[in-house]
Amino acid sequence: MRNDRLIDLIRRGRTAHENHLIDGLVDGRVSRREFIRHGSLLGLSLPLLGRIGAAAGLGAMPTLARAEGAPGATIRVATVLPAAAIDPVTTADSGGLAVLQQTGEFLCLDGPDLVLKPMLAESWKPDETGKVWTFKLRKGVKFHSGAEMKADDVVASIDRLADPANSSNALSVFKGILQKGGTKKVDDYTVEFHLDAANGNFPYMVSSDNYNAIIVPAGYAGDFEKNFIATGPFKLEKYTPKVGASFVRNEDYWGAKALPARTEFTFFADIQAQVLALQGGQVDVITQLPVLAGVGLLNDPNIEILSLKAVTHHQVHMRCDMDPFKDPRVRRAVALSIDRKKLVQGLMKGRAVAGNDSPFAPIYPSTDPTVPQREQNLAEARQLMEAAGLGKGAKVTLTTERFVEIPEYAVLVQNAVKEIGIELELNILDQNGYYGDGVFGKSNWLDSVMGITDYGHRGVPNVYLTAPLTSEGTWNSAHFKNADYDRLAASYIAALDLESQKQTAGKIQRLLLEETPVIWGYFYDFLTATVKGVTGVQATAMSQIYVDRASKA
Amino acid sequence: MLRFLARRLALSLVTLFLLSVMVFLGGQVLPGNVGRAILGPFADERAVEVLNRQLGLDRPLLTQYWDWISRFVQGDMGTSYIFRSPVAPFVLDALGHSLKLALVAFVLVVPLGILAGVVAALNRNRLADRIISLGGLSATVLPEFVSGIILILVFGVWLRWLPISAAWPAGAGFFTQLRYLILPALPLFLVLFGYIARMARAGMIEALESDYVRTAVLKGLPWRTVIWRHVLRNALLPTITVIATQTGYLIGGLVVVETLFRYQGIGSLIFTAARGKDFPILEAGILTIGIVYAVATLAADILYSVLNPRIRLGAGQ
Repeated sequence: MRNDRLIDLIRRGRTAHENHLIDGLVDGRVSRREFIRHGSLLGLSLPLLGRIGAAAGLGAMPTLARAEGAPGATIRVATVLPAAAIDPVTTADSGGLAVLQQTGEFLCLDGPDLVLKPMLAESWKPDETGKVWTFKLRKGVKFHSGAEMKADDVVASIDRLADPANSSNALSVFKGILQKGGTKKVDDYTVEFHLDAANGNFPYMVSSDNYNAIIVPAGYAGDFEKNFIATGPFKLEKYTPKVGASFVRNEDYWGAKALPARTEFTFFADIQAQVLALQGGQVDVITQLPVLAGVGLLNDPNIEILSLKAVTHHQVHMRCDMDPFKDPRVRRAVALSIDRKKLVQGLMKGRAVAGNDSPFAPIYPSTDPTVPQREQNLAEARQLMEAAGLGKGAKVTLTTERFVEIPEYAVLVQNAVKEIGIELELNILDQNGYYGDGVFGKSNWLDSVMGITDYGHRGVPNVYLTAPLTSEGTWNSAHFKNADYDRLAASYIAALDLESQKQTAGKIQRLLLEETPVIWGYFYDFLTATVKGVTGVQATAMSQIYVDRASKA
Repeated sequence: MLRFLARRLALSLVTLFLLSVMVFLGGQVLPGNVGRAILGPFADERAVEVLNRQLGLDRPLLTQYWDWISRFVQGDMGTSYIFRSPVAPFVLDALGHSLKLALVAFVLVVPLGILAGVVAALNRNRLADRIISLGGLSATVLPEFVSGIILILVFGVWLRWLPISAAWPAGAGFFTQLRYLILPALPLFLVLFGYIARMARAGMIEALESDYVRTAVLKGLPWRTVIWRHVLRNALLPTITVIATQTGYLIGGLVVVETLFRYQGIGSLIFTAARGKDFPILEAGILTIGIVYAVATLAADILYSVLNPRIRLGAGQ
C-alpha cells in the first residue's frame, strides 16, 4: 500500500540525488536492496530508509536482530600471523588488519550486506558536485586513554594516511581522490573531505573497507603496538608479537558493551594448524577458511561454517601488448575455453559465483544484470583462434603464486586452453617471488605475459576499475590501454546516483567482454568457521572479525 | 690439549665470520625488497621508498654490513625491520624455546637410542635386533610433517590427551611446559632414534669383534666389566660425534616441527624473517645457530678427547 502523502513529506528537504533515488524506488527501477545500500552511501539513516520503503508500499525493513547469547565468555580466535608490526598506517596483511580492528574503529562500517552503517560518524552527505563530503561525528566517544574523540583526531588520522611522507599503506586508496590537507575540520564534531575529483563512493574509502582508516588520537606517534589506543568495544590486555593478543571488554564504550569479557587471538603461520586447533578444541573461531584447506570442516557436524558473499577473486591477466595476446580474439578464446560451472562447483565446492570477465560482481547493486553471462564455448573459441591465425596453436607461460587454490586454478586453466591448441607452461612461485618489487620491470606479477593474481574484497568496485585496468593503473598487469575504457571508468566513479552508475557499468561490462584483458572466472565466498555453540561472530570479507556480540553456549 | 682447543676456537670464529657475510649477501638475492615485504604488493611505490629510506636500506651494502657487524660484536643485535623493536629479545626468547624442545627430545632420544643400539648389537641377527633396526629405519625415513600430523590427529584431536600446540599458556610451570613439549618432541625422537641406534649398534659390533675384547674375555674378566670398561667406551666414540652434529639440527633445523606445532623457536623465527627480508633478525638468528653448532662441536671434541687418549695426548699430529 503506497502512501504518496508520506513520501511527499519525506521528500521535502532532501537533495536532488536523494529524491532521484526515492523516485527510482517508487517507480520500481531500483530494488529495495539497492535502495537501502545506495541510500546508506548517500548518508540516509537506516530507520529513514525503512520508513521510505514502508511508505512506498514495500513493507517494513527486515530486521537483522538475532537473539543474543549470554555475556562473559572468553572467545578464542585463530588468525593468520601478522606479517609486520601492527600499525594503522602501515599494516597491509589480513592477520594484521584483523588485530588492528579489535580495538580500532572507522567512521563507517561496511557490513556483510555491503550496506554502510554509522560507526564513529553519525551521518554523512555529499554536496551537489560529489567533490565535498561532510561527515558529522558521534559525540561522547572516548579513546581508551580517556580523551574524547573529536574532529582534530579524525583530520589527523586521515591526513596521516594521505601523506606520501608516511609510508602509508592507504596511499593507493586515496591516490587521485584525497590529498594531505583535503580533510578539514568545520567544528569539533564536523569534518569535510575536499576531494580531488567527484567520487560517488567516497564514504567507502573511510569505512572499514579501507582497513587502515582507523581513528587514533591526533598525537599518535607510531607506537600502536604498545597499547592499541583507539575507540573500540575491546581494550588491549596483552600483545605478544608473533604469538597472539588478548583483549578485555571496554566498560566505557560508546555503543552496546561487548558481550565477551575477554577475547584471545592466536596467530598461526598456516591454515592446517588452525584447522587442527579448531578440531582439537583449542580455538573457537577460524577467521578465514580457504575452501580447499577447509574441506574436512565443511561437513563436520561439530563445526559451523559462516559463508559471506564477497567479491574476493583471482584475476587471470593476459598482456595486451605481447604475443599471442595482442589480438583480442585470442584473449576472448581463452576466456571462452574455461568452464566456469566447473570452477564454482568443483574447485570452490559451490562456495562461489561465476564471474563475467569484469569486476562487476553480482552482489554490487550497480552491476548491470542484462549483460549476458559468458559461458564455455569451445567451437567459438577455436574459430577465434583460427581467425587470429593461430589455428596451429601457441605456447605460453603462465606465472603465478602459491596461494590458496591458485595453483589448482592454474592447472584447470592449463587443461582448458589445451582444448583450443594453447600449450600452457606453469611457473608457480612463492608470493614474494611472484610480486617481486611490485613495480613494472621488477615484478613477475606486472611483467609476465599471463598470470593469476589474488585480489581481496572491496565494498565498491572503484579500486578494481582503476588500478588493474586504466592506462595509468599501477597494477595493470595486462598492460591494457584503452581510452574509451578510461573515460567510462572515470565517469562511473564520479556518478552519484545509482542509475547512471548502472548505465556506465553496463557499458564497461560489455567493453571488457569484447576486450578481455583479464578473466574474472569466479568471485568466492568468505568462509569463517566456528565451533558449534559459539554464536554472534561476524566476519567481513576484508578478513576483519567482530566478536563483540559473540557468546558460547 | 689447550693448543688443540685454541685452534678449534679460532677456526670456529673464522667460520662464523664467513657465515655472517654469506647470510648478508644471500639475503640480498632474495626476491622483493624490505619495504615491499612490509607494506605488501599493492602499496604505493612512494610509500615503499619512504619506508626503505627510513630503514637505511638505500645506503651502500658495505656500509650496511659494517654498521651491523660492528654493533653485533658489541652485543647489540640491532632493531627488527618488521617488528620495529630490538632483535635481542626475539632471538634469545626463541633460542630459549628451542633449547627447551631440543632438551626434551635429547633426554628422550639419547639414552633410548644408545640403549636400543647396544641391545641390538648384543642380540645380533635375532628378533630384537631385527625389530630395532627395521623400526628405527622406518621411523627415520618418515618426514617430521607426516609423523607430526599423525601424532596430532591421534593424541590431540582424536584422544585429546595432549595439547596440539606447543605454545603453553603464560605463566605455565615446569610440568605444564613439559606436557606441551611431549607431542612436538616425538617427531624429532622418531627421526633421530633410528639414526643413533644404528650408529651405536655399528660401533658396538666393531668393538665386540676387536682383539682387545677377545683378550679381555680370555684373561677371565667378567662379561659385565668387559662391556662397561672396554666395549662401550670405544663403541660410543662415533655415536657421540653424531649426537653432537645432531644438536645443531635439534636447535636450528626445526622449522617444520615448529610451524606445525606453533612453537616460537629459532627455526620458525628465521623462516619468517627470511620471508619478510628482516635482515637483523635473520642475521642474528643464523649466527646464534652458528654459535650453537660451534659450541656443540667443540663439546663433542672435548668429550671425544676425554674418551680417546690418542687425541688427548696429541698423538697423530
